[in-house]
Amino acid sequence: MDPERTGVRMDRMLRVNMTDRSATFEPLPAAYRNRAGRWLTSSIVHDEVPASCHPLGPNNKVIFSPGFVTGTAAPTSSRISVGGKSPLTGGIKEANAGTGWGRRLARLGIRALVVEGQSTDNRFWLLKVDTKGATFEPADPWVGKKLSEAVAAIAAKSGGKERVDVCAIGVAGEHRMGAAGVCFTDREGRASRYAGRGGLGAVLGSKGLKAIVVDDSGAADVPIADKATFDSGRKKLAAALGEHAITKPKGALNSYGTAVLVNILNEAGGLPTRNFREGRFEGAAKIAGEAIFAGNKERLGHDLYNHPCSPGCIIACSNTWHHKDRSEHTSCIEYESDWAFGADCGISDLDQIAELNLLCNEYGLDTIEIGGTLGVAAEGGLWKFGDGKRAIELVHEIDKATPLGRILGNGALITGRAFGVTRVPHVKGQSMPAYEPRAVKGIGMTYAVSTMGADHTSGYTIAPEILGVSGKLDPLDPKKTDLARTFQYATAFIDSTGHCLFIAFAILDIASGFEGVVEECSGVLGTKWTMDDVGRIGKAVLDLELDFNRRAGFTAADDRLPEFMSREPLPPHNGVWDVPDAEIDKVFAS
Amino acid sequence: MVSVHVYGKLRRFAAESDPCGDSVIDVPHAAGDTVRSLVVRLGIPLDELGANVFVDGRYADLGSPVEDGARLGLFPDDMQLLYKWYFRPKGTNE
Repeated sequence: MDPERTGVRMDRMLRVNMTDRSATFEPLPAAYRNRAGRWLTSSIVHDEVPASCHPLGPNNKVIFSPGFVTGTAAPTSSRISVGGKSPLTGGIKEANAGTGWGRRLARLGIRALVVEGQSTDNRFWLLKVDTKGATFEPADPWVGKKLSEAVAAIAAKSGGKERVDVCAIGVAGEHRMGAAGVCFTDREGRASRYAGRGGLGAVLGSKGLKAIVVDDSGAADVPIADKATFDSGRKKLAAALGEHAITKPKGALNSYGTAVLVNILNEAGGLPTRNFREGRFEGAAKIAGEAIFAGNKERLGHDLYNHPCSPGCIIACSNTWHHKDRSEHTSCIEYESDWAFGADCGISDLDQIAELNLLCNEYGLDTIEIGGTLGVAAEGGLWKFGDGKRAIELVHEIDKATPLGRILGNGALITGRAFGVTRVPHVKGQSMPAYEPRAVKGIGMTYAVSTMGADHTSGYTIAPEILGVSGKLDPLDPKKTDLARTFQYATAFIDSTGHCLFIAFAILDIASGFEGVVEECSGVLGTKWTMDDVGRIGKAVLDLELDFNRRAGFTAADDRLPEFMSREPLPPHNGVWDVPDAEIDKVFAS
Repeated sequence: MVSVHVYGKLRRFAAESDPCGDSVIDVPHAAGDTVRSLVVRLGIPLDELGANVFVDGRYADLGSPVEDGARLGLFPDDMQLLYKWYFRPKGTNE
């Protein structure tokens, strides 16, 4: 083990410089001792990356950090945060994924892996990290390959999927496209788990880093400073997850996956349809979570419940979709992906949606950005809504890196500009996810003010009164300003723990579950955090991100939804986006 | 008439229960109808109902009034994935 690892907890950074291909272990700075996950990636981006730098230039960095409890026995905690300056938004970015990769990094005692500099030889490299250190080798054999093939080959030559997890970029990242995500292996070694949003795959591509394989064999368990507190916390959280209707075994997420939301948003009139022209999709029931469950059952001949994407997850929401011959077509058709290629493209054929999902996994693309881009491309006359075969051809253009493919691969805003489209659903250059702001005003506020651009996960589902950061609120009568801020603080905290955001469903309703999360963190770190620290930490994260974005040139004018949403009523409610700018500007005014 | 759209395990109360289609029950409207009165009239056990209840696409609860001609959307307790904080409920009688 590295001699620098002397504290109570993983306390070193691995700094990788792609200019000279050096890899150096450094002690974790004292200021970062109690930071992890999103808090740490955003801290390092804030402190080390010049806000004015070109996202694809040598001064940008990509930071990986497992959360506080990642690598421990805490349930559903195998998230890895990835941060940097986004080529899509021009602002700070944190995207996270569920994978054993972060768990292995944590077990190696690496709190942060910092990738900096830029390869000068126009080649791509593979970084291997294990108990002996970090080494490079050429990645030439996998350049231009489908990610499933590349990742399987890299894992096989590195000891097998039981021993390693792989992080890699696809063709989209190699070509530095703004919709390129960072791909990680799931529990079965599939190239399917994405820190998808914001184009961080392009940043890795710009540095010449194709893949990072992490082997934790021989590593010690993650040290826990106060085991009694930690165990108390993880048991409280496990109990909450196990009993809540959404997160329990054979509950909503385990049975239907996140795609159960298709019918719910459709019923609410908030399912963006055909590039945000309507709020209900006539084909919703054909693509919803129930249809996926029924379709798999028909093809396989038995019920198929969902599986965990990463080790230690007890929610297990990740699905697979199967061909008529029973073979696996793709994993995972998340709600957002299902919506992006389904309702937003007017496509109601699950096999076509699955193929589009698969292609994004193979080419290293963010499904939300590409679905949104296809919607805009249909407005621009490149194809007709509902024509799934043509949509598939367009995604192949991205793989071929044709001029058209490069436009599409750079996302909805660039595509809208290229084809003269005014109905471009985005904030700060990042396309909107699957909740229509004109029907769901609270999420519209989140999109507007998020440091990440239009991002549903920036402020998901935390009851404000649990947190005590902005006083008591009547949950049934939300003040949107307070709600947007409070949700974002809570989310930033959860994104720093290493837990999946979906624990929010349970810990929102079961207060002891939330206490359990705080106890887990205190147990690992040896701190004495209470519920009051949730808001404090969340605010600290957001303040760093807001400061970076201010220095990068963002102003209040960037915290706005696109004009068409204020002008065009959305059926069936026929409402427009009418939240006053002044109310938006109050969210982070203090 | 009230058009009741049911999902998940509640589809069994509709004549058409295909999980890949729309399961709709048309119920004659009665004066003073609420979500609760309609659910009871349909014989749906209250403990199978989740928090995702919509009247004309607006987040509602058991006490919400239901007008003649309305669309009522009912999701079971194991599907209540959309969190209630996003919506201002239509009627808060209960």
